[in-house]
Amino acid sequence: MAEIVGGVGVPHTPHFPGIVDRDEPLAPELRRLYGAAARHLRELAPDFLVFFTCDHYNIFFVESVPIFSIGVAPSAQGPSDYRELKAYTVPIASDLARHIQAEAVRSGFDVGMSQEFEFDHPVTVPLHFLTPQMDVPIVPVFVNGLIPPLPPAARCYALGARIRETLTGMPGSARVATVASGSFSLEIGGPRLSATSHTGIPDPGWADRVVELMRAGDVGTLVAEASEERLTHAGNAAGELLTWIAMLGLVGCGPAAFLEAQPEFGHAFGCWRAGGPGRPM
Amino acid sequence: MSIYAVNKVCYRVVHEPELRQALADAPEQALRAATPPLSEEELQALLVGDVGRLSKLGANHFLLHQLGRFRLFGLDLPTYAERIRMAYRPD
Repeated sequence: MAEIVGGVGVPHTPHFPGIVDRDEPLAPELRRLYGAAARHLRELAPDFLVFFTCDHYNIFFVESVPIFSIGVAPSAQGPSDYRELKAYTVPIASDLARHIQAEAVRSGFDVGMSQEFEFDHPVTVPLHFLTPQMDVPIVPVFVNGLIPPLPPAARCYALGARIRETLTGMPGSARVATVASGSFSLEIGGPRLSATSHTGIPDPGWADRVVELMRAGDVGTLVAEASEERLTHAGNAAGELLTWIAMLGLVGCGPAAFLEAQPEFGHAFGCWRAGGPGRPM
Repeated sequence: MSIYAVNKVCYRVVHEPELRQALADAPEQALRAATPPLSEEELQALLVGDVGRLSKLGANHFLLHQLGRFRLFGLDLPTYAERIRMAYRPD
């Protein structure tokens, strides 16, 4: 059987790679935080990464908006939406991705299958910091966290848990880790922007609450409180939390081994090991 | 036509450099060629960069802010942000 070894959650702010490249004042903190997540992943030594992401109106917007979809192409390039960022070709574990998608559908999850696409920055920015050699194939799982209506948090958690069951039921000895990409409170371009930017953090209290519950390993309460209304109140990108909830469903464990927030951005960096203590759902 | 036509223009702005160039060179002509067609109200609001009006019409902010990012219709990101603030400023 495949072994679930752990996971990480990180933000994907498109300006972060440039801030680090130019060695701006925030660069040391970003190097430290992404470095902690990258080191955790290296220690887990995964053969594959199940990568939960939200399409930012780049892949599905015109054709059809799936609530969940899994990318099964052999690889995909990106980022499609920030051509000024470093371009990558990201390897995809396509056979594994097809198996996970098929098993999800057979067990009642209506998960789409994406056969040709480009990644956008929510995938490439984290991988730029976590696995810049692009030497760990991923299974991209698209969770519709941005385009209302959003899926229930419990459904996202259950999908992660279903993927876990699929993996642990497979023959072989592959090591699988998981990545979540996104913020907890964030408004892009909407009326709740800050006084100095086109973005804003409408509900820093919610971001604090998310971190508190993750720190306690209380995923059940997190899922119960992460209603669509709550996420909408926290900003038009706050549904990205659903990728973290799906990630926690896949890891199936309690408190984070590492968790540090950047409150001024409404997001956090977190690392989990499989089998940790706590109160999973 | 629903506000989808505006959202689609904003989506295409991100992915089609040639459209960005056309919108910079001959904005009205490029907008009148858009499919699905824009309403006259939507077209006029776009031409003057009235993102506050487009926001009130229901445009998606994630997409709408791309007009500022790509400096179309007299916008940049600070101008975009200020016009959104003005549109929602309490009376």
